[in-house]
Amino acid sequence: MAEPAERQDTESPAPVMEDELVRQARRGDLRAYDELVRRYQERIYATVYHMTSNHEDANDLAQESFIKAFQALKSFKGGSSFYTWLYRIAVNKTINFLKQRKNRTHLSLNDLDFNAEHDPDLMALISDKTPRREAGLTELQEKLNEAMLKLSEPHRLVVVLHDVEGLSHDEIAKIMDCNIGTVRSRLFYARQQLQGFLSDYLKPT
Amino acid sequence: MNENENNFEALRRLLALKRHEIPPPGYFNGFPSQVMSRIRAGETAGSPETAGSSWLLKFLQVFEAKPAFVGSFACSLCLLLLVGIIYAGRPDAMPKSTFLASVTQPVVSLADATSPEPSPTSAQTGLMVSTNPVLSLEPVASLFGQENPLAQPVNVSFPPSGN
Repeated sequence: MAEPAERQDTESPAPVMEDELVRQARRGDLRAYDELVRRYQERIYATVYHMTSNHEDANDLAQESFIKAFQALKSFKGGSSFYTWLYRIAVNKTINFLKQRKNRTHLSLNDLDFNAEHDPDLMALISDKTPRREAGLTELQEKLNEAMLKLSEPHRLVVVLHDVEGLSHDEIAKIMDCNIGTVRSRLFYARQQLQGFLSDYLKPT
Repeated sequence: MNENENNFEALRRLLALKRHEIPPPGYFNGFPSQVMSRIRAGETAGSPETAGSSWLLKFLQVFEAKPAFVGSFACSLCLLLLVGIIYAGRPDAMPKSTFLASVTQPVVSLADATSPEPSPTSAQTGLMVSTNPVLSLEPVASLFGQENPLAQPVNVSFPPSGN
């Protein structure tokens, strides 16, 4: 599969409209905020879910992130885009949660969609050339999530935001409040580690 | 960096599997309403009507967050109770500004009142401290040194117990 298309700021839905929604929400307009929630719920949920590998935790954390963002809207100065700011809240909340949870991890994985079984790249990974060819997609999913949980939170976050969510290095740097070089080095190190954890399931191209 | 990207091509293809993990059908239809209802509930909780309960909640949250605080709070409560018991046991501990002291009458101790016979002092003043509800049936002649027009002698007789 090709690298996920990196989401650029220009791809964000109608920035002017978003500014207006944020302005209305700051004045306490719950309908405007409801629209913002609808707009970003999938991205926020997905990020938190891929960080925790647990649907219930992701549900709670995503909801709490939106609630906290609403409560803190007055402090939002507009220095970054709303969704970068929202991402930052969700990410900090998730990292704090994971630090408190420490090693008490419990997988509660979502089901794979129908398209997974028809993805040629994924099918190639479980073809007869794969060392663990008996591994089905579900097993592969489990092993992948377990390997992800072995990474430290900052390294896992970079992999999730870049390789899964498709965010650019620049956007990740803004969300994580670090420079692009740090993002790149973390991504390289995290991939190396993942490759080691999943060597049985990876075949050379 | 391109070489590195190529090295991780298989890994990135495997990571694409994560994008196929989707929450239960209809999950995102209900998500905004859940968030909005929690926001509304939070606004209600922040209103002046519920300020008292939120104060109590915060207090209880401190208990949850800091177990040491619970211990020290419990210890101070026990200490307070102990001091209260000790202080109450001392006959001279009653402050002079209390009601009994203000009427300038001697305080009758509990030890005196346990006797069925009323002490001369208590009989004079009409003030008694006793745990016995039928300690004395003598009418109270005066209250605060004045004649009590409502005080009437009452004769009470109890039937002998049949058991």
